[in-house]
Amino acid sequence: MNHKDTKTQRQSGSAVRICFDSGPLCLCVFVSLWFLTASASAHHGNSAYDEQARVPVKGTVTEFVWTNPHAQINLDVKDKNGKVVNWGIETNSPGILTRAGWTRRSLKAGDEVTIILCLAKNGAPIAYIGSGDPGTKVIFSDGRELDFKDRTAQ
Amino acid sequence: MRHFSAHSIALVAALTFAPLAMPQAAETQAKFNAHDLSGVWQFAPGGGGQGPGDNFPPLTPWGQAKYDANKPGYGPKAAPGGNDPILKCDPMGVPRILFVIWPFEIIHIPGRILMFFEGQHTIREIWMDGRKFPDDPDPRWYGYSVGKWDGDTLVIETTGFNEKTWLGAQGQPHSDQMRTIERYRRVDHDTIEFNLTIDDPKTYTKTWNAEPRTIKLKPGVEIPESFCVASEEEEFAKRIREPAAR
Repeated sequence: MNHKDTKTQRQSGSAVRICFDSGPLCLCVFVSLWFLTASASAHHGNSAYDEQARVPVKGTVTEFVWTNPHAQINLDVKDKNGKVVNWGIETNSPGILTRAGWTRRSLKAGDEVTIILCLAKNGAPIAYIGSGDPGTKVIFSDGRELDFKDRTAQ
Repeated sequence: MRHFSAHSIALVAALTFAPLAMPQAAETQAKFNAHDLSGVWQFAPGGGGQGPGDNFPPLTPWGQAKYDANKPGYGPKAAPGGNDPILKCDPMGVPRILFVIWPFEIIHIPGRILMFFEGQHTIREIWMDGRKFPDDPDPRWYGYSVGKWDGDTLVIETTGFNEKTWLGAQGQPHSDQMRTIERYRRVDHDTIEFNLTIDDPKTYTKTWNAEPRTIKLKPGVEIPESFCVASEEEEFAKRIREPAAR
């Protein structure tokens, strides 16, 4: 019985469309992304999120929850009508974040940040950032960034 | 003269770059004891991702019914929400715990090898003292594991499972008749070759030889405290998972 991961199929389709006319270099990038994505997503799967798009969302951190197996960032975001909505943003485990250089103090209430994230497909103010989705990251107002590269990888 | 100069340049270049090249050569040729797997390791990407893969043999009717009931977050049946047992912090069990995206430490002690997993902060024990399996073992999440060395390959056989775990994040089922055989062969200082055979006639119509995998050493990495805490997972479900799955 041969199955294909549906998420991989989605991403393959997207990457192939982008890479269609770009030749071997793009193929390498695509294959690398495939391996990264196939191997390092959240432990329970990310099918609730649109992982084909990366969306910047600006806001103010209200809480950084440093728990297993998913750390979370709660973020106050102004919608287009000026109403503040508190978003919940899932990310990796503290272990993975630690190996990427984060600590439990990396974010604190009041931090002004832009987060490049994957939105929930159902439109809820929920999102994902993490090692399974290259390009997702936190950008502080002074330009510093937090990403998910494993600094201990050989 | 030109010939001499070319040789000179080559010699200077060799002397200049030799010190840079030597540490790298030393690293790649670092000595190792094939029977000592001590250290922190992690499965490299590839194969079946967070499980033994989707290339499983045809299911029995019992296995198909069980597979149909599983609603995973990965694989061909992936959907938001679902009923993955680990969403309630149920133990991942063998072999699933091996494939998760977190490292594990191998610890040799007299008569046993311990595997200490970052995932769920769990210790698994493998008996290396030549004992036989219990006649009627209690069903366990991690089964009962007995290991031995076959040349330079560590062979771990496990039986005595319960039926509550999935074999991987894609929802592959198994029964209490499952017997797994893991093979670990350290091929260089930083690399173990891993093979897994799953024999479960109640669930699969044939023996399943999972895709070979590579395990890489992670020097300097400590296993942090990483329990899956049911109360925290419940809070996470209320705040994130359930709103995203509605």
